[in-house]
Amino acid sequence: MHFNLTNGVDLNIIKTTQFKTNQIIVNFSTPQTKNNITARSLMADILETSTKKYHTQTLLARHEADLFGMYLGTSASRIGNLHNVKFRASFLNDQYSQPGLLHEVIKLVGEMILNPLIDNGSFDEPTFMTQKTNLASSIASLADDKQYYASSELRKIYFDQDSPMQIPSFGQIDDLSVLTATNLVDQYQAMINQDKINIVLLGDVDEENAAAAFRELNFSPRIVKNVSAFYRQELHEVFEKEEQQELKQAKLNLAYQLPVYFQESNHYSAVVMNGILGGTPLSKLFVNVREKESLAYYANSNFNAFNGVLTIQTGIESQNKDKAIKLIKQQVEAIVAGDFSEELLQEVKDGLTHQLLSGLDSSSNGAERSLMNDIFDNDKSVETIVNEINNVTIDDVVKTAKLLKLQAVYFLNGEVK
Amino acid sequence: MEKHQYSRFNETIYHQKLDNGLLVQMLPKKDFHKTYAILTVNFGSIDRTFVPKGKTEMRTVPDGIAHFLEHKMFEKEDHDAFDLFGKLGADSNAFTSFTQTSYLFSGSDHIHENIDVLLDFVQDPYFSEKTVEKEKGIIGQEISMYDDDPNWRLYFGILGNLYPNDPMHIDIAGTKESISQIKAEDLYQTYHTFYQPNNMNLFIVGNIDPAETVQWIADNQAHKQFDEPADIETEFELNTLDGSDVIPFRTLEMDVSRPKVMVGIRGLKEIKPGQDALKYRFTVELLLDTLFDDTSDKYLELYDNGIIDDSFSYNFEMQRGFHFAYFNADTDNTEQFSDEIVKVLENANAQMLKGRSQFESEKRAILGRLIGMMDSPEAIANRYAGKLYGNTNLLDEVEVLESITFEDVLAVIPEFIQPAGISVFHIIPRNN
Repeated sequence: MHFNLTNGVDLNIIKTTQFKTNQIIVNFSTPQTKNNITARSLMADILETSTKKYHTQTLLARHEADLFGMYLGTSASRIGNLHNVKFRASFLNDQYSQPGLLHEVIKLVGEMILNPLIDNGSFDEPTFMTQKTNLASSIASLADDKQYYASSELRKIYFDQDSPMQIPSFGQIDDLSVLTATNLVDQYQAMINQDKINIVLLGDVDEENAAAAFRELNFSPRIVKNVSAFYRQELHEVFEKEEQQELKQAKLNLAYQLPVYFQESNHYSAVVMNGILGGTPLSKLFVNVREKESLAYYANSNFNAFNGVLTIQTGIESQNKDKAIKLIKQQVEAIVAGDFSEELLQEVKDGLTHQLLSGLDSSSNGAERSLMNDIFDNDKSVETIVNEINNVTIDDVVKTAKLLKLQAVYFLNGEVK
Repeated sequence: MEKHQYSRFNETIYHQKLDNGLLVQMLPKKDFHKTYAILTVNFGSIDRTFVPKGKTEMRTVPDGIAHFLEHKMFEKEDHDAFDLFGKLGADSNAFTSFTQTSYLFSGSDHIHENIDVLLDFVQDPYFSEKTVEKEKGIIGQEISMYDDDPNWRLYFGILGNLYPNDPMHIDIAGTKESISQIKAEDLYQTYHTFYQPNNMNLFIVGNIDPAETVQWIADNQAHKQFDEPADIETEFELNTLDGSDVIPFRTLEMDVSRPKVMVGIRGLKEIKPGQDALKYRFTVELLLDTLFDDTSDKYLELYDNGIIDDSFSYNFEMQRGFHFAYFNADTDNTEQFSDEIVKVLENANAQMLKGRSQFESEKRAILGRLIGMMDSPEAIANRYAGKLYGNTNLLDEVEVLESITFEDVLAVIPEFIQPAGISVFHIIPRNN
C-alpha cells in the first residue's frame, strides 16, 4: 500500500506474514555528477556512525543491540545515472521481540537521517576525519581483490573518459581532498531537501500505524526532476589494456555494449540471452570455457539493464589468454547464429524463474525489489515477469545478441617478465 | 517420523532415521516458494588418515581429497548432475569444510525429482582416470585463485601458526602437488569408506509436505543396494594438547595495498561433542562480543585511535576436534593492533566485569540474530552440525543461548584464553 508522505516522498508498505524479520529501506536518489558521488558516499559513512542523540558509535551500537540486535546501516549505490544513498534496517517483528519495537526502529532510522551530528554548520570534525581516512583506505584495499580490480579497470576503459561512470558508486580517493566537514553539510542539505525519497517497509505490520510513525518524521516536500536513469553512450573503437602483476591466476575481462534497458520490450530477451551466454552453470561460457576446455576456474557474464553493458569475466592461466578470447568470442557468435538448443533456452528460463520465485522468500530481497519498482513506477508482478521470460523465443535471443558490440578487453597478466 | 513443535516460533521440525541409517530432517515453510535441501557427509579435509573400508591398516590419502571428491561427484559417465538440476530449474552447489562435505539444491518446482537427483548423484560414484586428470586443471585454478587472495592467505597463515603440525593448516582444496597424486582408485576407496548413509544427513526446508517427502526419500533409498554399515576408523588427534607447538608469530610479504593482521587463539580445552559444546560456543561468543564488538569501550578507543576501522572483525569457529578464534583488520598499525588485542584477552576478566551491564543486551542481540536466521532456509539447514552439538538445530539453539549466565562467561575465560594458544600473523606489502 502506497502512502504519499509529501511531494516527492513515497512510502510503500508491503504487509506479509511470511517472515519473522521486517525490513525498512529509505532511499535518496539524485542524478549523479562527477562532484556528488564521492561526497555522498562519505556522507553515508558519516551518517551511519553516530547521531545527535547517539553521539558515539558505542551509544548507537548499544541501542541497536538493545533492539534485539537490529541492523541499521547506510550504503551508496548506482542505478544507471542515479546515485543512491540508502538507509537500511533489518529487525525482528514485534511478535518475536517486544511490543513497540517497530516504532523504536522507525524513530532510530529517522534520527539517523534527520538528526545527524552537525553543529554550527559542520559535521563533527573527528568523525569526519576518521571516516574520510577510512573511506580512502577501504577504496585502496579493494585493489587487493583481483576480480574486483579487473572489473574496475575494465569499467575505466569501457566508459567515456568524461563520464561520471568512471567513478565507482562509493567514490574515489582523488575526490576526497576537496571535501570538508562544512562543505559536506551542503551535500547533506541537498540530499535531505531535494532528493527523491522512496521508503519501503516490508513485514507483518499494521499499515496505518506504521505510516503514521513515518509521517512524524516530517520530510519536507520537494519537486523531483524527471531525469532518465538509463545511461547511454556512443560506440567507440575496441579499447584494450594489459597489465602485469605478480599473481598466480590471470584475469581476462570483456565489455560489450548492449543497448537494452529495464522496462523496454526486449529487456527479458537480453536477460535470457545473458543466461545462455554466461549467467548460469548451464551457459555456454561455463560449459565450454570452464568445463570442456578446463580453461578457467570461473567464466561468467553479467548484464546491466541501466547502463546498457554486458560484461564477461574469467580467471585463467596467463598463457591461455588468446585461446580464451577466441573461445569467448565463439560463444557470442554461436548465440548470434542461433546455435543453441530449445532445451537450453527452456532450462535458462526455468533457472531465471526459480531465481525470481526464491527472491520472494527473502525479506531483504523483497524490499529491494519493491524499491526498484517504486523508483521506476513499475508494477509488474513476479508472475508477469515469469510470463514475459517464458515468452522469449530463440529468435528474440538471436536478435538481442546481434546488438552486442565488443568495446573493451582488459587483461591482468599474472606472469612477471 | 518424529515431530518437534516450537510454538514460540511457529515452526515444526520432523525427523526420521531411515533403515539404512540416513537421517532426514524437515522444516516445512508453507508460504515459501522454494525448497532447499542439503545432504551432508561427515567427512572433510582433515580426515586424511583412516582405515579404508574392508582393510585393516591406516592409510593417509593426499591432501585435498575430500574437496576433489566433491567436485568429481557431479560428473557421471554420460551426464553431469549439474545439468540434471538445471533441466529441473534448480540451482545446485556443493562445498567442503575441514570436517564436512555438503551437496545442495534449491528449487521451486519438481521437488520430488530434484531430491532424487541429489540422492542419486551423491550415492552413485563414477570416477575415471581421464576425468580425474581433467579435474586437476580446474582445481589447480581454484587453488591459484585462493593463493592470490590475501584474506585467504591471512586465514591459513594463522591456522599454520595455531596448528603447524595438524591438517587444518593446509588449504581445504589441498595443494597443486598433493592433488597431482590423486587417482580414481583413491576416490573410490575414500568414497566407500565415508559416504555411507549412516554417516550422512539430509536437511530439507521449504514448501514441502513432510509425510510425502519422507516417503519419496524412503522409496528412493529402498531401490538401492547399500553395503553393510561399517565403523569408520579415522585418526585425528591434535599433535599436542598443550599448544606447545603453536608458532607465536610469522609474517608474509605479499602484493597488498595495506598491511593485514590476524591474532588467533587456539582453544586448548578438549570439548566433547554434545549440547555442552554448543553452550561452550555461545559462551565464548558472548565473551568475545562483550569484549570486542562495537558496543564495547575498547572498540571505540581502538577505532578513534586509528588502530582499527570497519575492516575489523572477529570470529569463533568450532569444528569436530578443534576450536579457535581470530581477530583481524587491515591496519597500518599492525603491531599496535596485535598488542592491544592480546592485552584485552589477557585482561578479559576485568574487562568483562566492567562490561557487566551490557551482558543482557549482548545476549538479546545474539537472540535477535538467531531468530532472524529462521527466515532463511539456507541458514536453518546449513547450521545443523550433527553430533558436534548433540543433534541440535537452529531452533534448539535459542534455549541453550538463554541458559547462559554472566558467571558462565567468567568461567570460560581461563578455559579458552591461555597464553600458550595465542599467536599473531602479519601480511605486509612487498617492497618492490
